[in-house]
Amino acid sequence: MTESGRLLKEILERGRAEARRSGSTVVEAEHLLLALAAHPGTSAQHVLAAADLGRDAVRAALDREFAVSLRVAGVELSDVDLPVATADPERAVGLGTSAKLVLDRAVRRAGLGPGRIRPAHLLLGLLDAEVGTVPRALALAGVDRLELVRRARAALAEEEDR
Amino acid sequence: MAGAGTVTDTDPADALAAVAALRRLGDRLEDSAVESAMRAGWGWPQVAEALGVTRQAVHKKHAKRLIAAGVALRRRDA
Repeated sequence: MTESGRLLKEILERGRAEARRSGSTVVEAEHLLLALAAHPGTSAQHVLAAADLGRDAVRAALDREFAVSLRVAGVELSDVDLPVATADPERAVGLGTSAKLVLDRAVRRAGLGPGRIRPAHLLLGLLDAEVGTVPRALALAGVDRLELVRRARAALAEEEDR
Repeated sequence: MAGAGTVTDTDPADALAAVAALRRLGDRLEDSAVESAMRAGWGWPQVAEALGVTRQAVHKKHAKRLIAAGVALRRRDA
């Protein structure tokens, strides 16, 4: 397996763990963002960290998006008694629609086969979404999405020069 | 029909995000409510009927998780 393939596999596995942890039955785009922010040593993680988006900051931004969106429907999350259900550590977690879209966009960004997708391509795949949970969470956190795209592309160009 | 403050006055992005968030909230509530009921000794048929779904559906969705969580389950047809 190529270095890129191995990294992609590790990040998807981390995304699955994030999905299980949040009680989701499938991996969504937001879980891939959490995984990228948490996976050490990649250029995608560096780009996110430089924008103050560590794993916990991403989690906080996603939680805020959840609360804000529920409020549109008149639901105040603080009023809902939400006991945490026990997660199933063995649960098979497939890819949800939003995560598949991220992968499709990452492939397009990479212009290569899926085995050649680097974490920064995955990040670009996430940042290419204009609607949905991830761009809303980033906007609420005051993050300039297009600036992140620029930085991720610069990081990729630097990697390719090496 | 739509008066001030109805969801139709809302930015479509906000309205659609609210739908997505409500679905997620519903899933989370279901997980915790089913777990609480089973811990309180409810059987699958009652839980299923209360949710308005089939017993098979609720069992398939939650049994493995609850067994892993160590919840003492009553017999499936109890």
